[in-house]
Amino acid sequence: MGHAATTVHHDEPGVRLKAVYAHLDCLLAGIARMKADHTEGWTVQSPLPRHEILEAVYEGRPSPVRWWTLTGAIAGLHIGFLLPALTAAQWPMINPGGKPVVSLVPYAVIMFECTILFGSIATLLGLMFHSGVPAMLDRSLKDPRVTDASFTIVFPSAPRSQVEKLKAALVATGAIEVTTGDDAVYEVPNV
Amino acid sequence: MASNDAIYGYDPRDPAAPNRPTTYGQVNRDIIRPLLRPTALWLLAMAIVVGMMVWGGFAWYQQITMGMGVAGITHPVMWGVYIVTFVFWIGIGHAGTLISAILFLVYSRWRTGVYRASEAMTVFAVMTALLFPVLHLGRCWQAYWFFPYPNQRQLWMNFKSPLMWDVFAISTYFTVSAVFFYVGLVPDIAIFRDHSKGLIRKVYGAMALGWHGTDRQWHHYMAAYGFFAAFAAPLVLSVHSVVSWDFAMAPTAGWHSTIFPPYFVAGAIFSGCAMVISLLMPMTYLFKWEPYVNLWHFENLAKMCLLTSGILTYAYGMEYFIAWYSQNPYEWAIFSWRATGDYAWAFWLMVFCNCVAPLVWYSKKMRTNPWSLFIVAAIINVGMWLERFNIVISSTAHNFDPQTWALYSPTWVEVGVLIGSAGWFGTWFLLFCKTFPAVAITEIKEMVAPPVKGAGH
Repeated sequence: MGHAATTVHHDEPGVRLKAVYAHLDCLLAGIARMKADHTEGWTVQSPLPRHEILEAVYEGRPSPVRWWTLTGAIAGLHIGFLLPALTAAQWPMINPGGKPVVSLVPYAVIMFECTILFGSIATLLGLMFHSGVPAMLDRSLKDPRVTDASFTIVFPSAPRSQVEKLKAALVATGAIEVTTGDDAVYEVPNV
Repeated sequence: MASNDAIYGYDPRDPAAPNRPTTYGQVNRDIIRPLLRPTALWLLAMAIVVGMMVWGGFAWYQQITMGMGVAGITHPVMWGVYIVTFVFWIGIGHAGTLISAILFLVYSRWRTGVYRASEAMTVFAVMTALLFPVLHLGRCWQAYWFFPYPNQRQLWMNFKSPLMWDVFAISTYFTVSAVFFYVGLVPDIAIFRDHSKGLIRKVYGAMALGWHGTDRQWHHYMAAYGFFAAFAAPLVLSVHSVVSWDFAMAPTAGWHSTIFPPYFVAGAIFSGCAMVISLLMPMTYLFKWEPYVNLWHFENLAKMCLLTSGILTYAYGMEYFIAWYSQNPYEWAIFSWRATGDYAWAFWLMVFCNCVAPLVWYSKKMRTNPWSLFIVAAIINVGMWLERFNIVISSTAHNFDPQTWALYSPTWVEVGVLIGSAGWFGTWFLLFCKTFPAVAITEIKEMVAPPVKGAGH
């Protein structure tokens, strides 16, 4: 939800539109309003992961990162077996203590460790892929107040013909400030 | 140190607590304010730890240029202070992941104030531990032989060896802990980026990876964080189990025991929690974190220490019982010698530090007294190093053949490296606390009531 580059009228030239909220309940009202109006192309920013926000935006849909985790863990389990097994098969004369050349029990430790290692690395890759980081050059969402104490609903590229309507809707839900364009640069206190 | 009343401060269960932060912005400013502003006390501490590290580096340089003969390890004690200290630092690294992962999964609220610094401690402790196998090699430039890769020497390692399991266990633990640590830091680095200017903003901006707190970022972040915690949790139990197998898989008297994995894991958590107390008590006062880290957290850490101290005491007793009950003369000989022989001082000091001293924390008054917490935690750290000394040294000094028996004492080079390792760890930790939020800002904010205007929109 809210990740398409523009709203419904994609062929129109867009403008950034940002509504700043000081209160969580107002933000949730804003999200509900956008959903009720079937408005698309918006993103919510918050200083912390409030479950109410994620529930309102994603309506319980789980993150696909879990598939990365599962795939990485299964791959790691197999790598953890194949690495020692193929190594031992290449050197069958190394047979300590009369144990079988390919021994599942001692390899279980390597399999366990590789499951964790590859599962974690895949989770990290999945997180980066789906959350769009690193994204240092994306300035459309830049607003230092978000990491401080404010909430926002941002349209990175709202259709110009709908800006006034969207502004009115956002102000009605309690936004303390609604701006358009890139002109509004804010600073928080440099402590 | 401040009185109990002054620092008991913020308990999230108590909405009327006097120091309770009331806004998200206040949390940001409280935690960020001391960063990047070195105080005289911090500079003094840095000078001490850097001095220790330089001394350790000099000792290592002596060993590299003169050879392993400058270390005290020789037949029959081929695992001396280096392996003792390796196991000690791996153990220290356990509490961080326990606090950050296992306590996260069980929704323990007291972890929030202390988990970031504990995670940092874990990463730096494992970085310190990893020095020791390299040091112990002698020819440290061949350390890459530890890892499996196709090579022109056509040499492969033995995956059935517990030493190779250890390479995998510790490198996995380090990687997963470091990833978990950094992922947790990213939103807080973004806060610091937004509160800074100029070059500092650019540096932190690069490290924040373009984090802007979008719903998309938080949605996937929360899912991934849960998975990282789920992966890290079994590692807490597995890593020190694998380290214990370095000993227990050998048919050496005093080592060859199935009690080793739980005994080592309990000991690791015990020493790790004590180290968290030792590090965070002074840092709390130095950085003025009292509203966020206070005696409520330290009391809970002390309770963890009490639990694991009880497990350790049971394990120490059970080792003796098994040695006696098995009627294995070699086992009984080594355990008798530990308690009455040349290293009896280390054994009884260990018993005092790990089994007796923590008992004072059964009193709530002592458990919530800053001085009692700091002193007993320091005693536990000494005791846990001595535990590894007892295990490693006594069993190798008196092995199966009395003709080979000999005593071991570390040389100045080994002692120098031991001191240097503490300096290396301390340098990383102090640098971290001055340059990154060592108290997790975002998670602290989750404990603050959100700003709400009220109904009627």
